[in-house]
Amino acid sequence: MAKQRTEVADIDRSLYDFKDSEEGFERLAEGLTPEIVTEISRRKDEPDWMLEFRLKSLEIYNSFPDPTWGPSIAGLDMDHIATYVKPNTDQSATWEDVPDDIKNTFERLGIPEAERSYLAGVGAQYDSELVYHNMQDTASKMGIVYSGIEEALHEPRWEALIREKFMTLIPPTDHKFAALHGAVWSGGSFVYVPAGTKLDFPLQSYFRLNAKGAGQFEHTLIIVEDDADLHFIEGCSAPKYNVANLHAGAVELFVGKRAHLRYSTIENWSKNMYNLNTKRARVEEDGEIEWISGSFGSHVGYLYPMSVLTGRRARSSFTGITFAGAGQNLDTGTKVVMAAPDTRATVETKGISKGGGIQTFRSSIVVTPAAEGAQATVSCQSLMLDDESRSDTIPAMDVRAKNVDIGHEATIGRIGDDKVFYLMSRGISEEEARAMIVNGFANPVAKELPLEYAVEMNNLIKLEMEGAIG
Amino acid sequence: MDALTIRNASAMPAPTWGWLKMNNAEVAIPAGLAPAGAVDVDAPQELFDNARPFEVAVAEMQERVDAARGEAADDRACLRAAKTGGTHADADGDLGDLDVPALSRYQERACREEAEGDIARAFETGMGHDARSYLNFLAGEPVALGTTEGERARAVVRVEGEERAAAAVALDVVAAPDSELDLVIELDGTDDFGDADAAALIGSELRVFAGARSRVNVTVYVCALPATVVLDDEGYVLDEGARLTVRHVVLGGGTTYTGLAADLRADGARADIDTSYLATGTESRDFAYTVRHRGRKTVSNILANGVLAGTSKKVLRGTIDLVHGCKGSEGTERETVLIASEGVDNKTVPTILCDEDDVAGNHGATIGHVRPDQLFYMRSRGVSPEAAEALFLTAKLEDAALTAPTEGARAAVARLAERIAPDFDIDEADEEEAA
Amino acid sequence: MPTTPLLSVTGLTAAVDEKEILHNIDLTVAPGETHVLMGPNGAGKSTLGHVIMGDPVYTQTAGTITFDGEDVTELSPDKRSRAGLFLSFQAPVEIPGVPLSSFLRATLAARPDRALKGKEFRRRVKELCAELDMDPSYLNRELGVGFSGGEKKKVEMLQLLLLQPKLAILDETDSGLDVDALSVVSRGMDLYRKTCDGSLIIITHNTRILEHVDVDRVHVMVQGRMVREDNASLIPWIDENGFESFEQGAEDAADADGQASGAGALDGIDAGDLSAVVER
Repeated sequence: MAKQRTEVADIDRSLYDFKDSEEGFERLAEGLTPEIVTEISRRKDEPDWMLEFRLKSLEIYNSFPDPTWGPSIAGLDMDHIATYVKPNTDQSATWEDVPDDIKNTFERLGIPEAERSYLAGVGAQYDSELVYHNMQDTASKMGIVYSGIEEALHEPRWEALIREKFMTLIPPTDHKFAALHGAVWSGGSFVYVPAGTKLDFPLQSYFRLNAKGAGQFEHTLIIVEDDADLHFIEGCSAPKYNVANLHAGAVELFVGKRAHLRYSTIENWSKNMYNLNTKRARVEEDGEIEWISGSFGSHVGYLYPMSVLTGRRARSSFTGITFAGAGQNLDTGTKVVMAAPDTRATVETKGISKGGGIQTFRSSIVVTPAAEGAQATVSCQSLMLDDESRSDTIPAMDVRAKNVDIGHEATIGRIGDDKVFYLMSRGISEEEARAMIVNGFANPVAKELPLEYAVEMNNLIKLEMEGAIG
Repeated sequence: MDALTIRNASAMPAPTWGWLKMNNAEVAIPAGLAPAGAVDVDAPQELFDNARPFEVAVAEMQERVDAARGEAADDRACLRAAKTGGTHADADGDLGDLDVPALSRYQERACREEAEGDIARAFETGMGHDARSYLNFLAGEPVALGTTEGERARAVVRVEGEERAAAAVALDVVAAPDSELDLVIELDGTDDFGDADAAALIGSELRVFAGARSRVNVTVYVCALPATVVLDDEGYVLDEGARLTVRHVVLGGGTTYTGLAADLRADGARADIDTSYLATGTESRDFAYTVRHRGRKTVSNILANGVLAGTSKKVLRGTIDLVHGCKGSEGTERETVLIASEGVDNKTVPTILCDEDDVAGNHGATIGHVRPDQLFYMRSRGVSPEAAEALFLTAKLEDAALTAPTEGARAAVARLAERIAPDFDIDEADEEEAA
Repeated sequence: MPTTPLLSVTGLTAAVDEKEILHNIDLTVAPGETHVLMGPNGAGKSTLGHVIMGDPVYTQTAGTITFDGEDVTELSPDKRSRAGLFLSFQAPVEIPGVPLSSFLRATLAARPDRALKGKEFRRRVKELCAELDMDPSYLNRELGVGFSGGEKKKVEMLQLLLLQPKLAILDETDSGLDVDALSVVSRGMDLYRKTCDGSLIIITHNTRILEHVDVDRVHVMVQGRMVREDNASLIPWIDENGFESFEQGAEDAADADGQASGAGALDGIDAGDLSAVVER
């Protein structure tokens, strides 16, 4: 009798793997020069300070070495990356005005449908520019602003605020790809939630990178004022090519006193993507940031949403899942800086690696001398689905305050044979048993996701069990 | 001798963000140290007589390992990636086979070492190559010790510091199959030290080959003075079923470095590392532990328990590496730190690297302080907060004295206690145990 | 009745997280007396013990605590302890890393008059272990770590006898659940009364622990208020009738918008066949 062997299949990414024609698009030359950077700024008709900022960032980019601690980015040749690709349309506030092929793409991704059913507002970016941005009247009547960041930059009312905050949490000197972002950023959303305002339905921005060999560098800036509340959802995907695509976005979140922001992301880039994204939140007194983060796509991923807790009793929680399949090296995790008394942080992550994929959980918890009474717990579990894959856990802690409680727990292992046997002894097939266990493993994260994304994740971790081998 | 800095000492195998300044240590060797000080090796004559070169023992094991190695080529994606140097774009920007992952540097090194299977080349010590070279230079010809098959023996090594002097010992140990060796290393500044505030350096470089089913028990006591630099560098290779038990008791010394790397090369090898540390004043402690599980059903436990007082600093880099092929292995790492005062800097990075599915890796760290309910309990019995803090310190000393393997180690703890907790009578505690 | 009380608590009010949980408590204990503090679960009995000892979890917002002629209201717990107060914990904490013997030595070292050196200390501790039927090997174990409930109680009684306080507050709220612990506490109390001639406040809601004790006064607390004080005859009455009648009284007091005085609290009590005796 043939020995039965079951496999958990790779994520089925065909759902996202469709390409549109680039006909009629404006694509700037590949590579990275002051001329290209100046040209991007000129087309956007930006204030002078922004052009200066871009050129300064480019200098910083050129002076920084590649990171030596993470996955190799040798395959990323900036001379082959088009940093700016403008779709053949301007931004619309109705889907009818979006060109058909682009609209169809977002239809297939389910964005307009989600907008109709439960979102308070949607922004959709295609390559380097936003093609759609709209928010319900109820939200705008509350004084909430949700627009393209470039659009906001052209409004005197917001320009000063943007100039005050832009790339202050993530300065170009932070790392090489923050500098790159500063030089060539394009598109992204601006959200302003006035003090005391609570939005019951989420806002969502979706980033689609269609152009082969292009980079996407959107900038998301969210300001949640004191006592305000917001749930923001971010989705990303791209079709697969055989050349490197680059995503180096930046997300800067300012959470005021007693304010609350939940930031949910599913990154589902294609396997040729280098995802070198940076996300950071600053939280003031009694405020709270909640990160929900799913990382599935990319050839190489570096992603560590960071919380800087500057106000007394500020809180952060990070819930993340990373699934690395064949050919992927996903280095993900989180950073927390606790810089005020009685701050709280929790981190809970799940990692799955399969088919030769590599997933690394990397974290840092830094407790400054000012953070007396800080408490943090980190829990990290990794599941190995076969013996060809790899899973590393590199959690760093630097504690300099008294009266703190910092706990860290991590485990790595595979699906226990005893668990499979137990389920099988109750009449469940091996395939079902394994699927059940993997689903159970991912569930604490899945249940935190918005419904649509939870369903998407279930599709993503679609467990196709295969038949007999040998 | 001139001042010297050993860069990239005690480095983590898998580094993380540079801004955390935890990836490695820079060892500053004070200027003007004369090579002097006392090194005593107290062991039965047979241990010297039966010594065999460490390299020979490793080479013999290599032959056995190679003979047992299967011919089947391993075609895993990560090995292919290491062979081709990872993902690169060709002239057209084409990335080639996207099912081959891009590796980080340490992952590439891990794949290369796995493909080579060369024990000698993969040999490492916790503090790394440069620190090892320095210690070997300082110590001169290594002292070689060897046990006899089936026998048990004990050796005590003392390195005593002296003001403005550097002293070190280099030890090569080969434990014969089925033998047992107890090795005690005392790194210490005695009453004859001279000016206690003067710079000094003491160190030990240890290489151990633990033969099949042997048991090697190493205890290192570090009770040096607050201006002394201490380097303790250890590297182990374990053959089938060998069992290594290490106790590091680091209680005194201005800047101390403790490095340990263990290669659990063969099936059933086991390493238990138990570390107890204390730092007071402006002292700093640096620990770098790497355990590589290569054989099947290998086991490791790294347990560290420390108290940090004053404005002391500590870094613990612990890495459990579950190398491909170490099926059925289990690695555990656990640290408990008590921060007893303000101004302490405590860094910990408990890493697990895992390239195998049929394994279990666990780590945990608890960093805490005297909790309010504990403090209230102690205060309700008349113990002031200052006395409570001192109690944690003296409890460490007391435990170290009670479990000291030699009279010399016990005396060293007593001297240290006299210096940092003068009110505490360690002899009393000791008698109590005896009574 | 002696003219100078050993412990005198007047108008004590305490809060936790800005919520008031003890209201205007009065309590007086004379030297050598044994008092019992009773009341239903959650009445604030343990809290009162902790506040008298100075537990920083609670904020004392009004009132004074005078002990042995000294106002200790502002004193830290260790100073109160050295003044001769003792509180046995219902649930003693665990202190990893600190052996019991080291801890005991530290408790004595804080009181110059009671400091025992080397051999004396060991002999005394060994004696106490024997009297409490406690395995001396516990002395080398970390305080409380892995101890059973009964063992933890023995350690508390050991400290009581070693420190010989003038007043011991024994918080035995949950001891009734554990027969072992109960007998340990009984033995500890006996020895304490015999050797120290100190005062006792026994906090309990279970009267079994009191079977072999000569009780001088009984206090009843409900909902953070002292609602009744009487002689030992109150104990069998409570055994029979429980605390319900007192609870109504406390509710009425609470309804009186926090104005409740001790007398107000009594107004609603159905005293039954007992005459209410309240000492001010």
